Amino acid sequence: MSTMDCAGIREMIPEVASGRAGQAGAASVEAHAGSCEGCRAELALARLVYQSRPQAPAELADRIISTMRRDRRRLQRPWWGISAAAVAALALGIGITARPAADTLDLLDVEVALEDETELWLSDDGVLAGAPVFDALSDEALAELLDELQAIAPPGGQA
Amino acid sequence: MTDEAPGAGRIPDSDLVERGRTGDESALGALVRRYQDAAFRVAVSITKDDDTALDAVQEAFLKAFRALEGFRGDASFRTWLLTITANEARGALRKANRRRETALELVEPIASRGPDPAERAVLADESERARTALGKLPEKQRMSVTLRIEEGMSFREVGEVIGSSEGAARVNYFHGIRRLRELME
Ligand SMILES: [Zn+2]
Repeated sequence: MSTMDCAGIREMIPEVASGRAGQAGAASVEAHAGSCEGCRAELALARLVYQSRPQAPAELADRIISTMRRDRRRLQRPWWGISAAAVAALALGIGITARPAADTLDLLDVEVALEDETELWLSDDGVLAGAPVFDALSDEALAELLDELQAIAPPGGQA
Repeated sequence: MTDEAPGAGRIPDSDLVERGRTGDESALGALVRRYQDAAFRVAVSITKDDDTALDAVQEAFLKAFRALEGFRGDASFRTWLLTITANEARGALRKANRRRETALELVEPIASRGPDPAERAVLADESERARTALGKLPEKQRMSVTLRIEEGMSFREVGEVIGSSEGAARVNYFHGIRRLRELME
């Protein structure tokens, strides 16, 4: 017989079922469950819930971390930051929506748009300016911009 | 990883949050690895769909990290993150339900999706039965049970995540457990 009543035991069951309880607590719950059918069933059920808990897919963390890096680059870039990307996306969006049935922006669309769209330009401070600057971008910088645009409008279409 | 015992010689959340605030991406990565499973469980408990849940979890982490400046250091990062996750998951579920309605697909509502009697016979496995039974509980009961047992949260923390008082979280938990036992009999 345990000195603790069922209500007290049931408060402790989640910690015991998940192995978080201290030794003394676990021992008193086990002892009580040995002679109390209701608490025994509840302990078994809580163990089942704990043991069958879902796990995130293994690749989730990497996916979140790489999206987070892109997100932070986009928000913190000292020059041509979010405003420039937004301006470019807006400009590209105009070109893209003019094309039939192109309601999603994928990398291929952007590449095509950049090649075709000769009127695209943006300045260092993200304000539309009088001279095209895409020519001055390195391949790497251009790739980064495409990366950002994809983050803004991912292939799934969920911005 | 996520299930390591809290305080077992690991870097406290508050330190990782502080480092994350100053732009330390490895600290943010550590928080992702520490809480991705808990966040996924919260999200899937609401959406009952893995893909919708995964999107909600990713969005929740991004929003949390963007708002890290305004996060109070004395609050629990886990509770805060899981609250954001629950909100994201509810939003994603609403969106998914709207899409389903506008697509005029006559599918069973997601909240009552469960095995039919023929399938149920195949689900002899106790774990499967437990998850199926959990899926039949009202959302607040289900979340109270899973947050209390799977994440080891106090009723006060459970209440924060489900948007209820501590007392309501306790009532939801015990009602949920009782209903679960009935469903499992
Ligand atoms: Zn008892």
